[in-house]
Amino acid sequence: MDKIDNAILSELKLGIPLTTQPFNNIASKLGIPQNEVLVRLTKLKQTGVIRRFGATIKPTNIGLLANAVIAWTIPADRVDTVGQYLASFTEITHCYERIPVKNHWEYNLYTVMHAQKRQSIEQMTKTLSETLDIPNYVILYSKRNLKNNKTTKKENKQ
Amino acid sequence: MDTKQATNKEPDLQLYQLDNTDKQLLQLLQNDFPITTHPWKELSHKIGLSEQQIINRIENLYAKKIIQKIGPIIDNSKIGYTTATLVALRVPENQVDTIAAIINQYSDISHNYEREHEYNIWFTLVAKNTKTLTQTLNEILQKTGLNQNDILNLPTKQRFKINVNFRLTDTI
Repeated sequence: MDKIDNAILSELKLGIPLTTQPFNNIASKLGIPQNEVLVRLTKLKQTGVIRRFGATIKPTNIGLLANAVIAWTIPADRVDTVGQYLASFTEITHCYERIPVKNHWEYNLYTVMHAQKRQSIEQMTKTLSETLDIPNYVILYSKRNLKNNKTTKKENKQ
Repeated sequence: MDTKQATNKEPDLQLYQLDNTDKQLLQLLQNDFPITTHPWKELSHKIGLSEQQIINRIENLYAKKIIQKIGPIIDNSKIGYTTATLVALRVPENQVDTIAAIINQYSDISHNYEREHEYNIWFTLVAKNTKTLTQTLNEILQKTGLNQNDILNLPTKQRFKINVNFRLTDTI
């Protein structure tokens, strides 16, 4: 990552311009050839600095109204297997192992699940819990996004 | 990865205001966006719309607040933010907004949600090292007047998955 990489990413912070040649627009803005923008972005993607290049969708606005973190207690020797298994479900978008708080909060695996109804989340969680024999979990439903200050593309329209 | 569906699968998403073309477009856009001179043209071959039709539809999806952004998502761990944690706070109901505002002042906060639990504020925090992370958390405790019993610090040990990619149609 150098200054030019940073400048390109900064131009893309609010998303690509909705023009016929969006990367050319960015190149002109920065005064570099379009090809350099394309090569650098491709490289950033290959090296994993860009985790994904694509659309971010708001789940609640496509009907996925129930969203929850489910915290699980998994025995240490099973964390890898269970973590990888849970990660393979499309309904689960995030899956992390975390260091718990001893004798107070023993949950060490965290999954984020999206569904149309809470009932579905409860059902899926119950099924997974029974199938994998991981009885200790808590469902933490999202009530409200407290960080609504993200600027949207609309404000960046070219 | 991403091939399984839970056994008790939900019925297909009832997407209000979205036709099949929108669904296919959203499905395409969530995956690898073409980093090329004419990206829309490339997509247009896959979906059978003109470049302009695609752009119009995307503008409409932005207007409906379905698309939040089309662009790169950065992996913080690859740009020096090697420490990350999930933090939960136990906060009196009537102080949630005030305390959320304090937390949101920090730029290294990525998600911040009110959740239905005794620990009712949950946010994620990244830092360049453990020292900075601890400092930030102590600052937050100080500014909010909460004490150590009201906070859960759950550092990331291992990431199995992060892939926010919703399935909208099976046809593409």
